[in-house]
Amino acid sequence: MTENSPPLTADELRAPPGRLERLGTALENALLVLLLGAMMCLAVGQIAMRMFFQSGLIWADELLKVMVLWIALIASVAASRNQRHLRIDILSHFLPARIARLPGVIVSAFASLVCAIIAWHSWRYVSLTLEFNDTVLLDTPAWMVQGILPVACVLMSYHFAVDCIRNLAALVRDRQGAQVPQ
Amino acid sequence: MIVFGALLVLLAVFGAPLFTVIAASAMLGYQREGIDLMAISIEMLGLAEMPFLSAIPLFTFAGYLLSASQAPKRLVRLTGALLGWMPGGLALVALAACAFFTAFTGASGVTIIALGAILYPALQHDGYPARFNLGLVTTSGSLGLLFAPSLPLILYGVIAEVSIDDLFRAGILPGMLMLVMLAGWSLWVNRANRKPLGDFSMREVGAALRESAWELPLPFVVLGGIYSGFFAVSEAAAVTAAYVLLVEVAILREITWRELPRIMRESMLLVGGILIILGVSLASTNYMIDADIPQRLLAFISDLVTSQATFLILLLVFLLILGAILDIFSAIVLVVPLVLPIAAQYGVNEVHLGIVFLAAMQLGYLTPPVGLNLFIASYRFNKPIMEVYRATLPFLLILAASVVIITFWPKLSLWLLAN
Repeated sequence: MTENSPPLTADELRAPPGRLERLGTALENALLVLLLGAMMCLAVGQIAMRMFFQSGLIWADELLKVMVLWIALIASVAASRNQRHLRIDILSHFLPARIARLPGVIVSAFASLVCAIIAWHSWRYVSLTLEFNDTVLLDTPAWMVQGILPVACVLMSYHFAVDCIRNLAALVRDRQGAQVPQ
Repeated sequence: MIVFGALLVLLAVFGAPLFTVIAASAMLGYQREGIDLMAISIEMLGLAEMPFLSAIPLFTFAGYLLSASQAPKRLVRLTGALLGWMPGGLALVALAACAFFTAFTGASGVTIIALGAILYPALQHDGYPARFNLGLVTTSGSLGLLFAPSLPLILYGVIAEVSIDDLFRAGILPGMLMLVMLAGWSLWVNRANRKPLGDFSMREVGAALRESAWELPLPFVVLGGIYSGFFAVSEAAAVTAAYVLLVEVAILREITWRELPRIMRESMLLVGGILIILGVSLASTNYMIDADIPQRLLAFISDLVTSQATFLILLLVFLLILGAILDIFSAIVLVVPLVLPIAAQYGVNEVHLGIVFLAAMQLGYLTPPVGLNLFIASYRFNKPIMEVYRATLPFLLILAASVVIITFWPKLSLWLLAN
């Protein structure tokens, strides 16, 4: 909830992932806009149908719930990109940025690993539902709905890994800066 | 196992995203019980099976949209026209406007940014002492937490499987108590300078009402719809979001279409953070229930605690510590499933428990060292954090007193349910 990432330097912003970052952000935004918009239309439409025609779409409620899952996971990817996941924020407020880098490296490596493990196991699960031809929402294959989980976890794992490398690079740079006084 | 547990706690303290810590603990638990780790993804997909959850993204979006528009300004003007004639008018206006706004924006810290920016200079200008202003604005940022349709109330209802309508009713009187106590204290502190904001003028009320004409139906439609049972909370959320979008973007045009994706993303960052924790904690809670942890905890506590009163004291102390470390959303998701069965053993009503839980966690927004409001205020008003601590302390104590009253007077929460 709080922004605790140190501001990026101009170098870091111009670094190779720059274009990828912009593309990724735009894609996340587009998906979030679409999903939120669709959610509002569907829910409001459902109320209107209830009020005026005393009817409704049976699958609408289930579809809304699936949309919540998708929003949750895509927004969660966005939150990893912007380092906005909820965390216990004791040290970042009190440790100087330079000292906070080492825990930063370890913590991001850990987060990246955990997401990678979840990604692997959800991939296994999704391929299983694919094998058994599970369906949700009338006749939609289940993997189309559930496939977002491994994808989102891979992306989060990637973002945490990038974060880890950035912290590591900054750590090395600090070291060198300390050894070669200018 | 203990080593791993300690390691995870350490990682959490050093700022690992909470959801990864919870996921890791669940996976360790599964591993130990010989359960396939695929279970964690099955549990996370359970997010798509929870009722009313769509209310969370929709209300959050509506709240962010409102705070990005000119609605806060209009709200302050309207509250000023209605309450400003009272002695100490502006302080009361600040409390009332913030409580109302927070209820609609879900206590995510946007109140301080949206309303504080208007109220803080106004209070300063009206000659209120600087430290009082800072404390007031910081405290007000989470004041409407107990009023419908605040996000924490909805989240508690979803997790505890308690009727959200009941929670919305139960929050009214305890929330009013907090407001009244803070208002009383504000008047007492400024007894030397109790000047009204201005005379009551029907003309000003009329002008303020006209100015807010588009937003005025909102509380009536949403609250009326929910309290009368016409809307489910998720439907009310959809109507709110769609209506606010229509008004602020299409009719009043205070927010351009171009800005919309940025606001949507900003609001969804918070939602993603909450929901992913909810997802992984579905897995960890399930493991804890499988491993009989609530029962063991209960057995342990029932040796020490025999009466309901002692239990409630213990609960309050625990929640205070919890609130100082964890944000309200993570705390609800993680701790409510554990506390609920224990509280039931001591005969604590689950709706009342929800109100106590949220009221106590509201203190956490203001508790040093990591209270969220303290940092937002320090950042927003450019004041050293220690000064914000000191300024907020008296307000924190008043709120703490109100939480004690709320805890030991269950009637207050349950009054409106019986009727």
